[in-house]
Amino acid sequence: MSLTRLCALADLGPDKITRVEVEGRSPVALALADGGAVAFDDTCPHADESLSQGWVEDGRIVCAVHFAEFEIGSGKAHNAPIGCGRLRFYPTEIRDGAVHADLAD
Amino acid sequence: MCKAGRPDMKPAYPQAGSYPQFADLVDTERSQVDRKVFHDEAIYQAELRQIFGRAWLFLAHESQIPGAGDFVRTKMGEDDVIVVRQRDGKIGAFLNSCPHRGNRVCMVDAGKKARGFICNYHGWSFGIDGRLVGTDGKVYDTDPDFEKHAITLTPVAQVASYKGLVFGTFDPNAPSLADWFGPFTWYLDVMLDNDPEGTEFIGGCIRSEIECNWKFPAENFVGDILHAYWTHQSGAQAILGGGVDLGPQYDERAFQASIYGHGIETNLDKTGNTKTLGYPELVDYVFSQYDKAKDRLGETRARMVGAISSCTVFPNFSFLPGQATFRVWQPKGPNKIELYTWTLVNKSMPEHIKELYRRGTMMTFSPGGVFEMDDGENWEYCTKANEGWVTRHQPLHYALGISSKIDAPDLPGHIHRGSLNDANQRYFYTRWAEFMRFDNWSDLMTAETAPPAKAAPGVAAE
Repeated sequence: MSLTRLCALADLGPDKITRVEVEGRSPVALALADGGAVAFDDTCPHADESLSQGWVEDGRIVCAVHFAEFEIGSGKAHNAPIGCGRLRFYPTEIRDGAVHADLAD
Repeated sequence: MCKAGRPDMKPAYPQAGSYPQFADLVDTERSQVDRKVFHDEAIYQAELRQIFGRAWLFLAHESQIPGAGDFVRTKMGEDDVIVVRQRDGKIGAFLNSCPHRGNRVCMVDAGKKARGFICNYHGWSFGIDGRLVGTDGKVYDTDPDFEKHAITLTPVAQVASYKGLVFGTFDPNAPSLADWFGPFTWYLDVMLDNDPEGTEFIGGCIRSEIECNWKFPAENFVGDILHAYWTHQSGAQAILGGGVDLGPQYDERAFQASIYGHGIETNLDKTGNTKTLGYPELVDYVFSQYDKAKDRLGETRARMVGAISSCTVFPNFSFLPGQATFRVWQPKGPNKIELYTWTLVNKSMPEHIKELYRRGTMMTFSPGGVFEMDDGENWEYCTKANEGWVTRHQPLHYALGISSKIDAPDLPGHIHRGSLNDANQRYFYTRWAEFMRFDNWSDLMTAETAPPAKAAPGVAAE
């Protein structure tokens, strides 16, 4: 497993989604949930909007633009526009106060 | 347009002007109101600018939108607005109009947990905080000149609550809601603060249209209980099982109070209004709560809780203490209103008591309600008849009780003895004229309708 350092844990805040640019791939989004940090694609599978505009609610990531909701962990979509796929989540680990994720395909 | 520069998308709040020629239509020397104020289109347009563009207007009860994203749609004057609970718990209000082509962005009357509002035309998507968050297909987003961050639904300039009731104004320079009421809150508290747990709206909003000028219902509720004995005689007999009389309770233990055009008329009979809902159990309930209300509000106001009484908060928000019906007379042109009504109860009331209030208000003050129908017909014919070419030049009489003003140091505001009086209606139209005449709040808040300085013990103590 190859881990990529994304940001300091202290940069994440409750109820907000933080977008991190990662070289060579699409941006990653981070949020606090389930007592730790969760990482997922920042780009909404519906219409390419940034999920960092959205928020966390009742165990789901909510897209602020067209209101799709994605289960944290499985990425299963709810209340989503037609054609919206599953949101991809990545395993995370905290090392030295920083959030790392395994972004391998 | 062909120069194609960058747009300035800042919200614009129209400035007021001055219409002395309309203000003069209220003749305070003779206690007369010119009939033109009830049908003239130019006067109506001036009302939208001077009154509905500046006044604090009723928007919602906080209980209607408890959670983030909960919203109701309503009107401020003729402007459609969305009132929505924010994720930080505050309440926001926005024009329901897309800044792109103007289409409405919300087409339902109310809803829970909205994520945002998407315009049906080009898919512009707005957050519940009004910010533009996306555009369909990202065509705009990929235009390098597009300034997405500068675009928002137009916020209502100020939104504030008083004990559960939410008001808004389009004027950034309007005084605070507390200053707008002044000591009139002493009277509002009869309904809003007779119980420590506060109030809520129950059931939905009943809407109907009446072909009348908005000022007829507003003046009726501000201080015309006299009409009840003629207009509502048959309905009252049917519900109460006997005739109503003009007894001393409307003279000796009754008054009208006015502050900045807001007005309440009341007697102190404890349950007169509640009786007309037709449920003896409700009357018993109001009596059973009297001592508790007295501890909280003092004797005078405790006696008002269920009493024969009516109130208008200038310009178009009215309610009937005791009957629990709260309403806004939304203007739709000089000779039409849309009436929005709700039922207000104390949160702490038992469910079956709340249900009786809900049924009672539906049977009396709804489109099919006994008293609403009585009133609506009168207001429609007042409006229509006043428009006649010769008729419109004739004087109207607003002079009942011109010598009845009393000092009443214990009661805030301009006080007149007896509730059978035109006093509050005169103040209502005086306030209307002040709004027509003055283009600034400094004059508006120090004009004739401003409350007289008095150290009302009730106010100081509470």
